[in-house]
Amino acid sequence: MKHLLLKLEPIIWLLFGGGILVGTLLLPGYLLTVGLAGPLGWLPEDALSWERLHGMVSHPIGGLLFRVVLLALIALPLWKGAHHLRHFLIDMGGGARDAAVAPLLYLVAAAGSLAAIAAVVRL
Amino acid sequence: MNEHRKKTFVVTRFDPDKDQVPKTQTYEIPVRPEWKVLDALNFIKDEVDATLSHRWSCRMAVCGSCGMMVNGEPKLTCSTALSDYGDVVEISPLSNFPVIRDLVVEMDGFMEKFKSVKPWIIRAKEKAPEEGTYRQSPEELDAFKQFSMCINCMLCYAACPVVAQEPDFLGPAAAALGHRYNMDSRDEGADERNQVFRGDGTIFGCSYANECSEVCPKNVDPAAAINQAKLLAVVDWAKGLVLPHKGGK
Amino acid sequence: MAQPAHPHAMAPSRPGRTRTAPPMKPGTWPTSPRYLTYLAFDFTGLVYLLVGLVALRAAWALGSGPEAWARLQAQFANPLYVAFHALTLAAVIFVGVRFFRLFPKAQPARIGPAKPPPRPVLHAMLYAAWIGITAGLVAVLGGIIP
Repeated sequence: MKHLLLKLEPIIWLLFGGGILVGTLLLPGYLLTVGLAGPLGWLPEDALSWERLHGMVSHPIGGLLFRVVLLALIALPLWKGAHHLRHFLIDMGGGARDAAVAPLLYLVAAAGSLAAIAAVVRL
Repeated sequence: MNEHRKKTFVVTRFDPDKDQVPKTQTYEIPVRPEWKVLDALNFIKDEVDATLSHRWSCRMAVCGSCGMMVNGEPKLTCSTALSDYGDVVEISPLSNFPVIRDLVVEMDGFMEKFKSVKPWIIRAKEKAPEEGTYRQSPEELDAFKQFSMCINCMLCYAACPVVAQEPDFLGPAAAALGHRYNMDSRDEGADERNQVFRGDGTIFGCSYANECSEVCPKNVDPAAAINQAKLLAVVDWAKGLVLPHKGGK
Repeated sequence: MAQPAHPHAMAPSRPGRTRTAPPMKPGTWPTSPRYLTYLAFDFTGLVYLLVGLVALRAAWALGSGPEAWARLQAQFANPLYVAFHALTLAAVIFVGVRFFRLFPKAQPARIGPAKPPPRPVLHAMLYAAWIGITAGLVAVLGGIIP
């Protein structure tokens, strides 16, 4: 298992790096609107309505962009999260368990990424 | 005018022949205002307790011998002013290292990690002397010069949380030195070193604490080196997927 | 009181001639401000993992029709979700500031012929991208652009 983790390291690192860079760039805009302003009623009535969002999704170019951005926004933070959480657990003294814990965390990220692909395709 | 005030030093002691575990011993000594921590230790050894063992040499932060923990922080004792500290100063051996005696740590583990990154110019073929010297532009030198400033003082290993938890981790200085050679225009050994970087000591174990660069007395910035090395190792890996690997065993 | 480090931390492959005392972590671990900040940085991994999963749920709801989306919006209005998103925003900003400080020095002097921009320029570019992308997303999602 340790050997497999070492072999996969470049991919994991790229996904982690993408997660930290792209995820951090994309998340504030999403959080400010969908997470905060929308639920708190600070946005126009129909800003986050299903009709308006569905309209964006249906646009030939805009829709593709919407899907790609949404996919990045879901999947990349999962990889950043898994990788960082793994290191947090090692720092807190869990080095011996890493060979068991790391695959679980990355599996969650992988499963979430696949589900994210499905989610944006079916929009 | 002799300005003497007293300071108390709580120093870790360990004699493998007598002690089961390290303990501390307290010394109250007169100190001069301009003293470094090393001066106090040398005073203790010369005037108070000759059994105290500690490493030191150049007294000017180029040999890397005198690294110790001062109030819990890794420092070169020759360059650490006593006036920065209050009446009680705690001195213990460098963290994350096995301790041979008192303030002297076992360095062999570090030397092994060091050697494993092949810190020398690797070339398929040396230039014949008649062909002249290797030419290197100032820009080519700038690509690695900072990382060549390491004095092997190991303060970075004492500060790094990953070194504390992962025995195989190459660590800041070794990774920075390997990267120094990878970035040297005269060198052709990046393939070999990247295999070490991705081996059991994997540099990807570095989790961006940046503590190494915070404590480095020579501004080597090992955190920059190790993270640059990660990117280059990944580029190398990606190239290896498309092209057959050249050299490197 | 210093905690023990891994028992084999920095151990040589062959034991030395005398018995050694085991390696210890620094006395300042984990409570010094720098170490705590670092642990917080790693801990944001959990936050990112959760926000990714919550966003996945939102995306799934969006693709499931108006009723599912309306239910999701109602749930997001729950104070617990609002608090979660607010804390996540704080965590993301914390990660961004720390990461953007590190990113420029993590670029090698060159990869082949490619050279990165000077570090302060790269740092500024990251913030410009951050502000620009956030403004763009707020404009689009917030209904400022019809």
